[in-house]
Amino acid sequence: MGIISVENTDRLFWLGRYSERVYTTIKLFAESFDTMIDMDELGSLDGFCRRLEIPNIYTSGADFVGRYCFDPEDPNSIYSNLTRAYDNCIVLREEIGSDTISYIQLAMYEMNRARISESPLIELQHVLDDILAFWGIVDDEIDSENVRNIIKVGKRVERLDLYARLHMSREELKREVDRLSGRIWRTCLKYRQSYLDELNRLIDAPRIDYTAIVQKTEMLLEE
Amino acid sequence: MPEEFIYASSGYLAQCEGVMPPKGVYAHIAGIDLVQGRDKEWYILEDNLRVPSGASYPMIARELCRRSSPLTFQKTHIEDNRNYAELLRKTMDYVNTGGHTVILTPGRYNSAYFEHSYLAEKTGAHLVTGSELLVENDHLYFIDYSGRKEPVGAVYRRISDEYLDPMNFYEGSLIGIPHLYDIFRKGNVALLNAPGNGVADDKGIYYFVPKMIKYYLGEEPILHNAPTYLPLYKEDMDYVLEHFDDLVLKDVAEAGGYGVQFGNKMTRQEKEDFIALLKREPRRFIAQEVIDFLDIDIFENGECVPRKADLRAFVLMGEEPMVWKSGLTRFSRNPDSFIVNSSQGGGFKDTWVLSR
Repeated sequence: MGIISVENTDRLFWLGRYSERVYTTIKLFAESFDTMIDMDELGSLDGFCRRLEIPNIYTSGADFVGRYCFDPEDPNSIYSNLTRAYDNCIVLREEIGSDTISYIQLAMYEMNRARISESPLIELQHVLDDILAFWGIVDDEIDSENVRNIIKVGKRVERLDLYARLHMSREELKREVDRLSGRIWRTCLKYRQSYLDELNRLIDAPRIDYTAIVQKTEMLLEE
Repeated sequence: MPEEFIYASSGYLAQCEGVMPPKGVYAHIAGIDLVQGRDKEWYILEDNLRVPSGASYPMIARELCRRSSPLTFQKTHIEDNRNYAELLRKTMDYVNTGGHTVILTPGRYNSAYFEHSYLAEKTGAHLVTGSELLVENDHLYFIDYSGRKEPVGAVYRRISDEYLDPMNFYEGSLIGIPHLYDIFRKGNVALLNAPGNGVADDKGIYYFVPKMIKYYLGEEPILHNAPTYLPLYKEDMDYVLEHFDDLVLKDVAEAGGYGVQFGNKMTRQEKEDFIALLKREPRRFIAQEVIDFLDIDIFENGECVPRKADLRAFVLMGEEPMVWKSGLTRFSRNPDSFIVNSSQGGGFKDTWVLSR
């Protein structure tokens, strides 16, 4: 394992989390927005916000698109999350390389294009494409297994967290915990094995306690 | 050179007196600013021996140029400039006292942060901030994630002398490493470039460089300085006052295109004020003949337009001196300006050195 600072370890982990958050929330947003076309707009919005535990501050479907996707002042917006991914990756050039960084920069660029587009939902597909390309180049370009794995652990933690909040199926949760378990021990990250065991138990329980899964996931890494 | 010239220089640091850096190298990376006059002669405008920046920009520019116009590079014999990282690595390794090589940055909000991170990526050095390094038992260490202390043998520092070490220089520095200079003095770590080079960067010292070449090497300089006058000397002061409108006046302690004033651009009042200042503080300024240097074409707003440009050549000192066969070509965006510095809106280009 090459040497890596505490700061960079933290940044790699959060780069993984924020890029995954952008990816999953764009997909979720697209699905929810599609539902709103046929259903009660404000009712759907309320459900969406409750599931993600974000305040429902939106007054209409159009307001929702504008602010949830693109408002840089809204800390819960997809735009803000992508900015945080960018902020982390831009200070990791020597760890992950300029080519890897460039896909997050491209995603940022596409996000800004989508922001002023007349069909933002179509344009957001390019952001998804760039995030997927980012994950591809992480595998392809980063030599250090430790660095790759820290980013991926961030991604898995975020996905598990989001899936639990969204009350996804047992199979989907199980798959994410398995992926996380297979990865985390290969990093220099300090984590609580007992919490990982507990996550498996919670998912196998007859009635899934989603809140407990979120809590254990959030506290999996030691401070 | 008058002794007081050294001691009166704003770059003079008494702490550096008598200190020999590892392998005796002081100026590992030198950035020498040149212009080509209409007479096709090249002139040296100034030496940058503290922390010259800008090598990463032509590296990036070359990569993009090769992609966008591969035929140009196929048909023209242009020296490959993609070896800068290799030269820099050699330079750092040569003076490394044992341990990792790091690039010390003030952080991401520094205007040259891109360069710091890019050079770290390309050389394989670790990019660090002061808080990640520690001096202990007369050696420098990098603290890794697990708390392990990894020895550091060379620091390519991209912060200025006064901020390097709060125990030896500016005590309010939050970006330096306490006692770093103590262990440098003992030869336990290499600092690139060596602290104290500010004296050599002083534009007043520049005046004496051709004389130094003659004195120390017994040779005539191959490249000429722009004709320069030191108002400290009466003869030169008389010349400056007489030809004020034909000269450019430079504050010796400034850099980045700041403190540069053209005699013919001043109002009458400004001129009077400046001359009064010059008489009060003659050591503070040099005056140079304005070299009518060549324009190069740049592409702006859809058309090719001529602009003033200069060239920063990079010379690296490892086991032997290495001249990078490229450099940073900077140009002014303003058609009426000679100021090319990026901090003042200047742009840059790839620099082609033809191999024929």
